[in-house]
Amino acid sequence: MGIWARLRRRLRPPRRLSFTREGRLIVVLSVGVGFAAINTGNNLLYLLLGWLLSFIIASGILSELTLKRLTVQRRPPPRVFAGDPFLMEVVIQNGKENRASFSIEVEDLVGTTPIDKRCYFLKIPAAKSQRTSYRHTFARRGHYTLTGYRLATKFPFALFRKSRDVDAPLEIIVYPSRVAVPRPIPRTTSRGESTADRLGRRGEFHGLRERRAGDDRRDIHWRSSARTGRLLVREYEDELARRVVIGVDNALPEDVRDAVTDGALTPAAETQVSAVERAISVAASLAASYLEIGWTVELCARGLHVAPGVGRIHEAKIARALALLPYVSDEVAFAALPPKIESVLITPRSVAASGRPAATTVMDV
Amino acid sequence: MRFAVAHKTATYLMVGFAYLAMTTGGGVSPGIALGGLVLLLASWWWEPPRINYDKWSWVWTAASVFALAYCVLTAIVTGDFLGVGAQFLTWLIVAKGFNRKAARDWQQMYLLAFLMLVAGSVLNPELTYGLCFLGFVVSSTWAMTLFHLRREMEDNLLVKHAADRASERVEVRRILDSRRIVGGRFFFGTGLLSFGVFLAAAALFLALPRVGIGFFLKSRSGLTLAGFSDGVKLGGHGVIKNDSTVVMRVQIDPKFGGRSAPQIHWRGVAFDRYSKGNWTRSQRAPETKQRLEQGQVRDRRSLNYDRPAISIPEIDTLATTLVRQDIWLDPLDSDVLFGASLPRIVEYPHVVRRRGTTNERNDEIRLPHGSTIHYSVWSELVPPPPEQLRAASGPLPRGYEVYLQLDEPGKPPEITARTRAKALEITRGLTNNYDKAVAIQTWLTTNLTYTLVLEDPGIQEPVDYFLFDRKKGHCEYFASGFAILARAAGIPVRQVNGFLGGEWNEYQGYVAVRAGDAHSWDEVYFPGVGWVTFDPTPSATVDVLGRGGDGWRARLSRMMDTLRFQWTKWVIEYDLASQLELFKTVGGAIKSAALTVKAAVVSAKDAVLAYWPIGAGLGVGLIGFLVLRRRRSGPGMETGRARRTRVRSTVAEVFDQVAAALAKAGVARDAALTPRELATRMAQRGDPGAPQVGELVELYYVAEWGGRRDPAAEVRAQILAAEIRQALDAARRARRTSGATA
Repeated sequence: MGIWARLRRRLRPPRRLSFTREGRLIVVLSVGVGFAAINTGNNLLYLLLGWLLSFIIASGILSELTLKRLTVQRRPPPRVFAGDPFLMEVVIQNGKENRASFSIEVEDLVGTTPIDKRCYFLKIPAAKSQRTSYRHTFARRGHYTLTGYRLATKFPFALFRKSRDVDAPLEIIVYPSRVAVPRPIPRTTSRGESTADRLGRRGEFHGLRERRAGDDRRDIHWRSSARTGRLLVREYEDELARRVVIGVDNALPEDVRDAVTDGALTPAAETQVSAVERAISVAASLAASYLEIGWTVELCARGLHVAPGVGRIHEAKIARALALLPYVSDEVAFAALPPKIESVLITPRSVAASGRPAATTVMDV
Repeated sequence: MRFAVAHKTATYLMVGFAYLAMTTGGGVSPGIALGGLVLLLASWWWEPPRINYDKWSWVWTAASVFALAYCVLTAIVTGDFLGVGAQFLTWLIVAKGFNRKAARDWQQMYLLAFLMLVAGSVLNPELTYGLCFLGFVVSSTWAMTLFHLRREMEDNLLVKHAADRASERVEVRRILDSRRIVGGRFFFGTGLLSFGVFLAAAALFLALPRVGIGFFLKSRSGLTLAGFSDGVKLGGHGVIKNDSTVVMRVQIDPKFGGRSAPQIHWRGVAFDRYSKGNWTRSQRAPETKQRLEQGQVRDRRSLNYDRPAISIPEIDTLATTLVRQDIWLDPLDSDVLFGASLPRIVEYPHVVRRRGTTNERNDEIRLPHGSTIHYSVWSELVPPPPEQLRAASGPLPRGYEVYLQLDEPGKPPEITARTRAKALEITRGLTNNYDKAVAIQTWLTTNLTYTLVLEDPGIQEPVDYFLFDRKKGHCEYFASGFAILARAAGIPVRQVNGFLGGEWNEYQGYVAVRAGDAHSWDEVYFPGVGWVTFDPTPSATVDVLGRGGDGWRARLSRMMDTLRFQWTKWVIEYDLASQLELFKTVGGAIKSAALTVKAAVVSAKDAVLAYWPIGAGLGVGLIGFLVLRRRRSGPGMETGRARRTRVRSTVAEVFDQVAAALAKAGVARDAALTPRELATRMAQRGDPGAPQVGELVELYYVAEWGGRRDPAAEVRAQILAAEIRQALDAARRARRTSGATA
């Protein structure tokens, strides 16, 4: 954290107060009663004024006690996809051993601005925690940082809303949106479940795993399967026969990239950006689709290369890479797609770019 | 208690207290007040599903319009805007009680309750307002808190989310019927809070500067009571009622207080002119001679009577020789100030501008006041000795001839000849006014009797009828008889009205003077000496302040009056002077405490200097202790609170019992062995109960470290523990059997 950030943090008031309608009414009443008391010298009006003022003071003290020793944990789901609503779980813990907290609002903050959803807790018993969640949607993929959360309460009399901002950065990677896309027909190997002409299937023995759809029946390790009661197959290091390279073109003209940076997209630029985003979504969905059936997937883009891999961890790796894939100039070189391997190049339809590599399949989306 | 019921109860309590605060002072007619209260209570049951609000809304609207029109007309006709306003408030709160549809209606009820409290501050200055205010503070804290929670749950944010379906609102009715949200602890806690609010309100009340000049604006009509009146009219008939309402409370020098102290004449108004049974203040009567000193906080008047004015230092000196009384006087029909006879100095809150004109004659002191007033009086309580009075002689001061008036100038004589003859007969042979006055007084007290039952004298001169025919009367008759006889004998005299005696309140040390203590007596002027009090009314059975008795009812009554007095003293009549006095007292206490602390510090410093090695050692030890404590509780270290013994879960306790049983059976767990490893080892060795131990260990991990309490797991753990014990017992029996066989 930089010096300025720390200084700003220190200078930031620890609490914010904003008056509600009732609070404003009480203040107006206090002024009116005070004026009447001074004007008439009626001591009972002074008594009422004293009550109004102490009511406001008590409200401030109690709201402070309510916000005291509350901690919040936000738990996003493991994967968040652009355009898909997700539930952010919010767990609030009351650290006070003898006092419940009432009427607590929790808001996630981006910078100092709360996001549009607010969680409400009616009562958090002493030394207990409560959980709820809010539904939110990130429209675009990318890296988001929820800088902290805001604890607020209008308890006990709703005279004002007192809030406290807590720094608790939460990083969220929003993966590209998922689309239904059929896998292209393989061009470099045989099709279907036929195994007669499948080559290069045997490499070094790697281990056993559970059988998935599309696995070669010959790889089933019958003895282990009989012992465990589950179908287990052998894995070999050489999986060339079921390997695909997915390429996605993330090039955008400079003016469009500038417009994205400035947040001033024209309809034409918006079309091109949407096309690139669609291509990235297709790439991510396709990669997931291939990995689901056990293929080895490699990812290429301009300025990006994800080495071949299999499994769910690799899928997350690809999704993360695509989530953070920046728009670049078409001068940035595309990693060459390896020959003799199934390759799919996904290009945005309305974006013209040079330097696209050759691929066994080209999908213009 | 169900949440909705709790909220409704608190709201009705709050409204009820505000309503009583407004109506118990008598500002609203009893019929309307009682009717409003009954309707308000009835509205408790007027709600869905029993009632459809919409169906009845037109009735309430029409009735409200009618009530508004009626109140506006009544206010214009009667001019009593405050009273009519209170009546309209009564209607509004009743109407709102019958139309509690939404959060807005509850809010309006709270606002109306507050307005009723404001109205009550003018209409009800009695102790009941204070009691209702206390109830209002407590119940409003509950009501406002519960209302806030209710509105939050109704309006906003109670939404249930699920990943596999759309979010849905939680049914509010279910929460309103919940008994888990607020309970005894909530009410106790918020009750304590409201008590704190009350104390803070009281502190702020005392601290808020009294800079107002509105003393003149808080105007209420005085109490019309049986007893004291600003005038005397003889000749009425009927029975005089004895009103027990306390009208004046007097804190007096303890030498003159106490239940065995003699009664005091509290002088009020004085009359010089008698005509047709009426005593009045004539335009020819001497004006009250006085010196007025106006201060920033208090004004002071010193009465000169027939003497020349004295300087301010002389007044200050005089004050030290007189008897001081602090008087809290409720508003009466008259604006006269009372004081023990004879008052010499009067001090009261500073008056910037006097309201209206006062006609102060016959040494009366008047100060218009619309509410209870607190003032101080310094009086000469002990009359001059008889010798001095017998020797008094000289001409009457200018204007004092009015005190010898008998008949109206230029009109036929009113005083009968036999009255004049009686005066001469009584005073025959006496040479000085004092002896004559005493003789008249003696004749009256010995020959006539006291009664509260009056008879109509008809056309007969009232004093003549009293002296010679009826021979019974009350104090006004006795005082009038004395005055007429004395004047007929050539003694300057005037009739005085005020109060006699009172009841000594032992709890707070003051005299409570009631309306029924109203009294009439006379003042006789002695040239060169001044005015002297003569009371010709025969003494009642009690002539000391110890009236009222010592029974529990009398004590309770006095205790209640003490509360009323404190209320008046510290709330109703708390003014700038009281505030300055309080600040002075508090400041003195703080100063005294500071001096004590300073003295302690100085003595500690001296001790340290005297024994500096020990002091230095203790200082270093203390600093070391503090540093150590701070380091221990610093970041990354466990705090004292966190080091507390963790409460083990039920499953963990079961596991501990099982572990002990296993250890007893020879399957002890090493310190380096985790429970799961122990279970695995037992399974590998085929120890008895190994499967159950394995399952129990998993339950143990979930319960102790998973952070969740699962009753089903606790039951299962108990079952597993029983099975493990059975297996261990079986194995033990088997070993014994095999050992025996071997």
